[in-house]
Amino acid sequence: MRSRGMNWRKISLWVCAVLILCAAASAQKTAIIADELYSMAGGGPSGQPGVVLIENGKIVDVRPGHEAPAGYEVMHAAYATPGLIDAKTTTGISGEYNIPADQDQDEVTDPNTAEVRAFDSFNSAERLLEFVNTYGVTTIQVAPGIVNPVAGQAAIFKTRGPESPLMTAEELAVKPVSAIVFNLGESPKRAYGEKQKAPETRMMTAEIIRKALLDAQVYEKKWEDWNKSDKKDASKQPAHDLKLEAVAAGLRGEILVIFNAYREDDIDTALRLSREFHLKPIISSATEAYLMRDTLKAAGAAAFVGPTLERIDSLETMNATVENAALLSEGGIPVALMTGFEGYVPKNRVLLFEAAVAAVNGLGFEKALRACTIDSARLLGIDGRVGSLEKGKDADVVLYDGDPFEYTSHVTAVLVDGRVTYRQK
Amino acid sequence: MFALLLIFLVTPTGNVRGAEPANGVVVFRGAKIYPVSGPAIERGVLVVRNGKVAAVGAEGQVSVPDGARVEDVSGKVIIPGIVDTHSHIGIGSRPAVPANEDINEGTGPLQPGLRAMDAIYPEDVGIRMALAGGITTANIMPGSGNVMGGQTVYVKLRGKTIEDMLIPGAIGGLKMANGENPKHYGSRGQAPMTRMEEAALARKEFVKAQEYKRKWDDYNKQVAAGSKDAKMPDRDLDLEPVVEVLEGKRIVQHHTHRADDIMTVLRLADEFKFRVVIHHGTEAYKVADELAKRHIPVSLIIIDSPGGKLEAVNFDLRGAAILEKAGVKIAFHTDDFINSSRFLIREAALAIRGGVSEETALRALTINGAEMLDLEKRVGTLETGKDGDLVVLSGEPFSVYTNVLETWIEGEKMFDRSRPEDLRYATGGFQVAGRYPALKTGDGGMHASAAQGGGR
Repeated sequence: MRSRGMNWRKISLWVCAVLILCAAASAQKTAIIADELYSMAGGGPSGQPGVVLIENGKIVDVRPGHEAPAGYEVMHAAYATPGLIDAKTTTGISGEYNIPADQDQDEVTDPNTAEVRAFDSFNSAERLLEFVNTYGVTTIQVAPGIVNPVAGQAAIFKTRGPESPLMTAEELAVKPVSAIVFNLGESPKRAYGEKQKAPETRMMTAEIIRKALLDAQVYEKKWEDWNKSDKKDASKQPAHDLKLEAVAAGLRGEILVIFNAYREDDIDTALRLSREFHLKPIISSATEAYLMRDTLKAAGAAAFVGPTLERIDSLETMNATVENAALLSEGGIPVALMTGFEGYVPKNRVLLFEAAVAAVNGLGFEKALRACTIDSARLLGIDGRVGSLEKGKDADVVLYDGDPFEYTSHVTAVLVDGRVTYRQK
Repeated sequence: MFALLLIFLVTPTGNVRGAEPANGVVVFRGAKIYPVSGPAIERGVLVVRNGKVAAVGAEGQVSVPDGARVEDVSGKVIIPGIVDTHSHIGIGSRPAVPANEDINEGTGPLQPGLRAMDAIYPEDVGIRMALAGGITTANIMPGSGNVMGGQTVYVKLRGKTIEDMLIPGAIGGLKMANGENPKHYGSRGQAPMTRMEEAALARKEFVKAQEYKRKWDDYNKQVAAGSKDAKMPDRDLDLEPVVEVLEGKRIVQHHTHRADDIMTVLRLADEFKFRVVIHHGTEAYKVADELAKRHIPVSLIIIDSPGGKLEAVNFDLRGAAILEKAGVKIAFHTDDFINSSRFLIREAALAIRGGVSEETALRALTINGAEMLDLEKRVGTLETGKDGDLVVLSGEPFSVYTNVLETWIEGEKMFDRSRPEDLRYATGGFQVAGRYPALKTGDGGMHASAAQGGGR
């Protein structure tokens, strides 16, 4: 459509090429036989014995029963599910050492860093990436941290595991740019207020976001006018602005628009801004979302909930409840689970544990599993590739020796694109 | 106005819970009981009289006293009240704002004279959340920002004042720390800036305490010998608790993560012969043999992931099992706020995932922690004569589908999941209970199916 879109397209093409090469490298046939297979696909096995057949990194068949055709390397499991999908995290850009050298999630030099891309901070060698893979997480949306009102662009990656070769961010990328992220609440005003810089108040945080959206709208209009014009006078061509580009992509609906907010009034601010700029918002963290289900539903908002084990701690998390996901789901709000950002010990949440806690606190087994597989994939717009065990999808599979949500069960193996990335020793 | 008054009258104020008189007799009948002191009793009877366990055994073998209040807990599971060996509830009250932060006195690295009990807010919601997690006894400690952080306090989670919470005869521990945290003074150009200095500061304080003790011992000897002109030494509030440590009356509760830091603690303990519990012990599994041969116990924190600080990057879920195998006594703690007290049982379950036996996991939540606080004669098992502190669970202790239903301290019910006002301390949302939406798929159905091993 426009030259400025080309970079992303080039990256995508390159990523595709790399993925094809990877797939070729794993040109083997694997059959996963599970006593209880949760395919998360309509009509597919759901808790019954089932077989997933994998060739060249893709699922070629999912069938009931215990029998695998000849020629397949067989892996057995008590339970098997699709690879888990973390809807929003900082894994890979916020390292486990938690020292300045490995913290690349918050560019706290400017409250509007719309131009920054999580992709460029992503450390594919990060140990936490391997760690979450051992707990079945195969796809993550990596978003900038929780400090800047306009935080930047998220990206979606596959994960590496202990058995994986070292792969680059490009090799792991599913979507190099997946969302524009805005932050509300305590973190922005704390970080900047301490330095006597804006924002010091919630008013200013909202204003910074509003201005970014408005500027992007104007920018968008300028380009529209230019593109409609005869383009004869090159001096009239608008200058490219990477900040405005990024926000404009959100305005156009090309990428997701995520507002991270905890308190009810902050979520309300996110909805207000969304109304003003005709956005379809996703609220992440969404601590108090359960108190305003009707409002969220009317706004057409979705929620990335979590972490379910969020501490009841700061003022804006005092009303956190482990029933949030269940209450939102009952209220008709699309929900995916996320691990978000952890600033201290432990450095990462485990999506599987978050889902377990949500499951037993009202969400139920099936919906909790959906919220970290197919529903998460749908909200991220990647359900054509991942999120369920169906013919043609990526062979991202998790094997367990018991109920996936029981604390005492184990993930016995994880496959990403048909390759074993983790195997329990 | 009248309605408002009524609400005011029926709303529990402060931290006073448990309407039942402690002097009554309460009988728990029909549950599977894990007394921890012995094998599980499939259908048991537990009698609590005057706050103490009066009898425990199989149904039919223990008689139900006349006039006793009988709690039918058939199909449920009872374990002893959980002992959290390391918590900051009450001293780091919620919400976590500076006004509530009384954990670390960051004005000097040696603060043995400070007493946690002088900073505890009994109305902290964290205490009610801990009850919702089945915790009945806690060691509330100052933080790990100082080499000596102060005197810890062993409490029961009851009452309106810290005095109500105290356990008779328990003097508490001495909080110490090494490794990364106390080094924060370095950023201000103050000591300690290095691990060397941390150890040196501790060593100097112990030597001072030895001197101080010698002075008092001499004085006491002279007085005992009838001396009239023995000169009483000046009292030193900082050194008194350190002397109690040297005398073995007060246990050092030592924050330490990395294997080399743990060895520094052992070096000091060997040198000054103090009793010590290793807290957190992230890398304790690397020096399990050193701990085992000295019979030094470890209170572990089981965190979801490694990292967050350098000394925690080698956290390994299998660590607890390695310690168990080496013969090291282990307990689990919350370090609340690091882990929520509502989920301490979950830590033990995750340790089972890492290879610990269920038996050890249960001991690590109860009697082992009690021993680490010198409280094993009073709490930690359900044996005749011990405190009637117990948790009623909806199912087996280490299943994710199990809930804490009730928490009892000395015969008083302190938490009851069936009471709406208590439930919110388990789920969260207690501040907005009036607006909290009803969950259609809540409790009932979920756990009925879970009992059949499903829960979906």
